[in-house]
Amino acid sequence: MAKFTIKRVLYSILILFFVMFLIYVLMYNMPMGYIETKARELASRPGATKSYAEWLADLNAQYGMDKGVVLGYLTWLKSALRGNWGDSWAWTIPVTQEFHNTVWYSFILGFVSFVFEILIAIPLGITAAKNQYSFTDYFTTVVSMVCISMPTFFIATVLKYIFSVKLGWFDLSGMQGRNYMNLSDFGKFLDVAKHFVLPSITIIIISIGGLMRYTRTNMLEVLNADYIRTARAKGVPEKKVINYHAFRNTLIPLVTTLGGSLPGLFSGALITETLFSIRGIGYASYTSMTQGDIPFIMFYLAFISILTLLGNLISDLLYAVVDPRVRLS
Amino acid sequence: MATYNLNEVLKQREAQKAAWEAATTGKELALDDISRVKVLSPGRQVFKRFIRNRLAVFGSLLLITMFVFSFIGPLFYSYGQKQIFYKYDRQNVNYALAKENTTYNGYVLDEGLTLDRPVVNSMNSNIKKMQAAGKDEMLVLGDNGGYKIGKIGEAVYVLSAGKAEQVCSTGEGTVKVGSYSGVSKKITYAGETVEGLEEAAAANLKGKEGTFDFNGTTYSYTRGAAKSYDIFAELSGISYTGRTMDAGFESALAEAVAAGTDFSYNGESYLINKEGSLYNVYSVSDLKDARVFTNYTLDTMEVSGRVSDEFKAAALMAAYGDGEFTVDGQTYTVVPSEGALDIYDAAGESYAEFNPFSVRRYSGEDTMEYALKNAVAAKIEEMKLSGVKSGTMVYDLPQQNEDGSYSRDEEGNLIYNETEMKITQRDTGEYVINCDQINYVIDMYAAPSAKHILGTDGDGFDVMARIMYGGRVSLMVGFVVVFIEILLGVIMGGIAGYYGGWVDNLIMRMVDVFYCLPSMPIMIILGAMMDALRMDTYIRLMIMMAALGIMGWAGVARLVRGQILSLREQEFMVATEATGIKVGARIFRHLVPNVMPQLIVTATMGIGSVILTESTLSFLGLGVKHPLATWGTIINSVSSASAMAHYAFIWIPVGLLICVTVIAFNFVGDGLRDAYDPKAKR
Repeated sequence: MAKFTIKRVLYSILILFFVMFLIYVLMYNMPMGYIETKARELASRPGATKSYAEWLADLNAQYGMDKGVVLGYLTWLKSALRGNWGDSWAWTIPVTQEFHNTVWYSFILGFVSFVFEILIAIPLGITAAKNQYSFTDYFTTVVSMVCISMPTFFIATVLKYIFSVKLGWFDLSGMQGRNYMNLSDFGKFLDVAKHFVLPSITIIIISIGGLMRYTRTNMLEVLNADYIRTARAKGVPEKKVINYHAFRNTLIPLVTTLGGSLPGLFSGALITETLFSIRGIGYASYTSMTQGDIPFIMFYLAFISILTLLGNLISDLLYAVVDPRVRLS
Repeated sequence: MATYNLNEVLKQREAQKAAWEAATTGKELALDDISRVKVLSPGRQVFKRFIRNRLAVFGSLLLITMFVFSFIGPLFYSYGQKQIFYKYDRQNVNYALAKENTTYNGYVLDEGLTLDRPVVNSMNSNIKKMQAAGKDEMLVLGDNGGYKIGKIGEAVYVLSAGKAEQVCSTGEGTVKVGSYSGVSKKITYAGETVEGLEEAAAANLKGKEGTFDFNGTTYSYTRGAAKSYDIFAELSGISYTGRTMDAGFESALAEAVAAGTDFSYNGESYLINKEGSLYNVYSVSDLKDARVFTNYTLDTMEVSGRVSDEFKAAALMAAYGDGEFTVDGQTYTVVPSEGALDIYDAAGESYAEFNPFSVRRYSGEDTMEYALKNAVAAKIEEMKLSGVKSGTMVYDLPQQNEDGSYSRDEEGNLIYNETEMKITQRDTGEYVINCDQINYVIDMYAAPSAKHILGTDGDGFDVMARIMYGGRVSLMVGFVVVFIEILLGVIMGGIAGYYGGWVDNLIMRMVDVFYCLPSMPIMIILGAMMDALRMDTYIRLMIMMAALGIMGWAGVARLVRGQILSLREQEFMVATEATGIKVGARIFRHLVPNVMPQLIVTATMGIGSVILTESTLSFLGLGVKHPLATWGTIINSVSSASAMAHYAFIWIPVGLLICVTVIAFNFVGDGLRDAYDPKAKR
């Protein structure tokens, strides 16, 4: 097991090295005119602390833009490994600080949505599988299909239209109400929580469909297995068959996938956060991307890649943990 | 050689006939009867299983509808995607500006004369001064000569230019006599020579400055550079510069100085220029008319008639002269009337009018009818009399079309609309005329109607047409991207799966790297960059499709490789090897077709997700750009909070269309998977 883990970790690091290299090449090949324009814009902003040449010099020093691709990549990797990610252009504070300011909002949003997603999707998926070809089954299938097929921005816009414009229950966007400053601490908490409702619903709707289908498929597979037939033949009560024999085995793939998506909670919901102006890492990175903030973009891309690899790693390891058969082979 | 038994043959025929009859009537059917077994080709089997799935059939029907709608629909729909619609709409505009003209504008009479700019520039104030003093004439001194401003009629003044010569100086002050040089002990005189002054100066000049008396006159001096002195004489009485005048002149001068005016003597005009308490007298002579000034503006009877400055100058000069003038071979008569000058052409028709009241379009153009100008002027006169600052009047205004010119009906006549005009006086004294004008404007955000089934968007485009053309691009993007993905994926996956070993290892590591690459952020960065570089929208489309394809092949490669790994161990592959088929053919003709079912399913589902990605990018404004339509850009155009709230009729249909299309692709994909692999159906 330890050997397997070490092998997987080393392998992930190797892939990360190449992913980062690809990202670096992408940035390295950005037209210089674009970078210069962005740096000029930055330097001419009110309250700019550095001049245009200083920004470019910073960039060269940190990213080795004036060296060759490989050498430049190594330069950047060296400073990145030391935790020096430079100053964000769009936010004018160190990249790591901006990350620190935003990532927890993303995590809260992601976590709340994740919990609700599990609470809704798994029971529904299991019910659908239990009553295959029933109305519930078709309903669940169609609903999950619709959820998968809806573009995020459309769900967000519809939710805004119904709940903000027509009913007026929530604000259109943002994280704080108008009189946030006058509220007590608990009131502030409630206010922010209220602003998180629509984004959470959006994320739940987009992600619920996939999980529902996945649960249903796996549950059906388990229900068709020989040991379930054996259990039924032995006269085990149906309730026990479902909840004890079948559900436990359905958990194997579910736990591995859900475990694998845990790191993703930190990655932020790029589109949802942007549409609802939640100051999470997704929104911050979207703003950075549209403004050509290279230091933050590089950081974000590296961060996302690490999270993806971490997710794969976790799900691989969990698979081995949950399913003894895998451990043996 | 075979022998035939006729009986046997007949028996057989009989039996066949019976079997056929049994089969058609349903009697006596044996289990292994040939007519019971219906053999279907694999393709038909799949098809049969597919059409048994209701959701899949529903999905296919939706897709067919969508394709017909997007690709054939525009052929029968009368509007194009970039066609802008206009409408006539009432808009409250600042129609015109009216003011009493108090500035005097000059028209050139004699181009040969060069005038002193300060004199011309101060004409307005000089005329005001003359009016205040009630004078008809005024002399002005310039750097290069003397000028006379003469009033020739109501509000018409002529500026004449001539020579100016200093005659004398009078009053209190000093006049420079000359410069004394301490080296040569000589005086360089400025005017007349004074006998004996050189000796007196030599005796008295000491220090920086001082005075001395000589011959009853007080002289003062100041020391300049290199022992030279400037000597000034204290003025008493009149000091002539040139010729000396008689006593009559002197008394006239004294009178004029006392009155502070110009004067004339013996038919010559004299100008007094005051410097402190010193009066310099100039004679102004040889005057020629240079410019004519008036505060009247010319309104022609013809709408927006063009009249040259030469015409205006000639008319003004003739107004208080012989009343007739000729410009460009045409003879006109001009008659002064109360507060105006009327100009008639040779036929005696009213041609134009000079008046002090200028009414112009707000843009400054003179495109208003004479009658309208008159009506406005009359109304303002009335307002002035009753002392109110605003008033309204009703007049028939011509209607405008898209390029701002007036629209005409079939017979070429102007179309008039009765319009209420509001006249308001501003604090600056001008009058602004506001009215609702019917303008030809872009038909923005029109609600759905018979003309525009889904209304129009913020650019005046028909939403229905945009949706149709947008569907083309969206569907096309889906197909092209998935094609690229499949092509790359099959090649890479096929090679990896077939060769195995290090090739497989290398390609699969590449797949891992591409799998890990965050595609949405990269697409957003690309979009932002193409934004900054102001790339053409078609090129953007190409780049976007290529990028999406390149980032999406990893999944396909993984699938193909997995399938091929198990397939290549089967007997038919051994057979291909044994028959010596080339490697390329083995992979792509014998292995890949066996992966086809999975590929088709992946592709169908893939198109749906690519459409989602593309519409998201376009919605964020980072994908396909205006004026090219895609479903995402249509929603993007109403993505602001207020547009979203007010123009739901634009984004709701488009959003639903995206959903329906993607759902349809997913249904069809699901159905295909079940049909290809019925064992997997759960």
